[in-house]
Amino acid sequence: MKYSYIKPRKKSPFTADVQLIITFFSMTFIMLFTTYAFLLFKNYTFTQDRQALISSTIDLQNSIDEMDRKIAYIKKQKDLAEKVFTQNMVLKDSITNLFDLVPERITLSRAELLKNGLILYGITPSKDVYNFMLLAPLRSIFQKTYSSFYPQKNGWLRFVSTNYINEDDTEELDSEN
Amino acid sequence: MLSKMIEALYLKVFVNIIVKRASTIVYIEIHSKKKVLNSIHSEFETTSLNDKMLAFIQKYIKESPYYYISILDRAVVQGALPSCQKQKMLFYKDMSDSEYRCYDGKWAYYTAKSEMYETEKIYESIGLDFIFSPFVLIAKFFKDKIVGKIAIYVLIEDNYLSIAVFEDEYLLYAKHCDLDTISEIDDILLSDNVDVDEELDFDDSGIDLESMDVDDDGIELEDFGEIEDLDSLEDIDEFDDSKDVEEELLESDTDLKEADVVDKSNEDYQRFSAIQSAVADYYKDERYESKFLENIYIADGIGVSRELKKYLEEEMFLNVYIRHMEIDVEICELAQEELSS
Repeated sequence: MKYSYIKPRKKSPFTADVQLIITFFSMTFIMLFTTYAFLLFKNYTFTQDRQALISSTIDLQNSIDEMDRKIAYIKKQKDLAEKVFTQNMVLKDSITNLFDLVPERITLSRAELLKNGLILYGITPSKDVYNFMLLAPLRSIFQKTYSSFYPQKNGWLRFVSTNYINEDDTEELDSEN
Repeated sequence: MLSKMIEALYLKVFVNIIVKRASTIVYIEIHSKKKVLNSIHSEFETTSLNDKMLAFIQKYIKESPYYYISILDRAVVQGALPSCQKQKMLFYKDMSDSEYRCYDGKWAYYTAKSEMYETEKIYESIGLDFIFSPFVLIAKFFKDKIVGKIAIYVLIEDNYLSIAVFEDEYLLYAKHCDLDTISEIDDILLSDNVDVDEELDFDDSGIDLESMDVDDDGIELEDFGEIEDLDSLEDIDEFDDSKDVEEELLESDTDLKEADVVDKSNEDYQRFSAIQSAVADYYKDERYESKFLENIYIADGIGVSRELKKYLEEEMFLNVYIRHMEIDVEICELAQEELSS
């Protein structure tokens, strides 16, 4: 202020019009940025959700696979159990039949069931009785039959009958299990 | 720094207001950097701020936030003092009710605070940025002259007269006259049958140096006695011959209508009387250093008639130099200078 009695008023480029324009553009930009930020956030959450869903799907798929495997294993187990049950039934029937086969004159003292065979210990009055009355049915069941006799003091014979079925048949049974 | 850069992008609008007797001149300059893009001059039939003038100004100040409104001080109570020190100012005037500024630390100009506030209030709807004193205008306009020997400088406005005596850039005397007030006083004095000659000393007869010597008994005007220049008319002739070519003598402006000539002549006589009264005051008042005046430089802001020059030359034996002044343009330049300082 060199010559004037008063100081000039402070001038600002921000007139009412400019302020209005700046406010308008500021609001517009704020809204745009807010929308953009919202979309970015939403996109991020969608991506996260998608990742989680994919991960969950994979887990479920794995779980389903695992369960399928377990079901298959259980089914196999069931089949095997049924097979074993059936075999046992068959074996039981066979044993029952076997004991039914043993004539009254022959006395069994011991019987051993093997995986692929049967060992019978007993007393027979004679070889012929044994051969005719027991060996014949045994041979119908087992492929291999070996018999040993030991004489007793009273004239009867102690026998050991070892009977085997073919190994191939045994393996087939194992593989089925 | 940023604000300066932003400011450079905008136009600058300088609105300059000069209040005349019954009208107001509004001069607008639109600047782009240092180039004047447009200048508009308009006159309104009001001495305050009417709707038409307001609309006119607002139309232009809307073009840029960087607009500056300047006004030439129109206070009745205003003037200038030969000193810049407050203690010395009190010797001339009680400054408690005045606002003052120093000019280059050599002299001061002042205005009445109440009138300044009143002016600000009148223009409060557009606001004011600068209020300039007419004495600053004189000092700026005659800056090539005031550095020299003593002379009287007058700024003539429509209804105001600012009179200052400068010697070597220092102010010796200043007076601001409101011609309307003077004429009112004249009317009152005349209606009261008071001898105007006695009251105002010179109104009709001008300065009669010889009679002044006799009347004042050589006390205040001893300086006159010592000055031999008055006796040697040859020197005065030399002044006449050595008039600056640059000075715009308004002798050629004679194409005025007769009625206008009469009106102008009356007004010029009023102006002459005011100048005469001021000169008498300058010589008589002991507070001022009364050196002899032989040159008068007139800044003519309105287009005075030849009569004024004739009165001054014939009645006061002064060498009269009249330079035409575009007051509005000068105020605009002052505002620009003020901004760049």
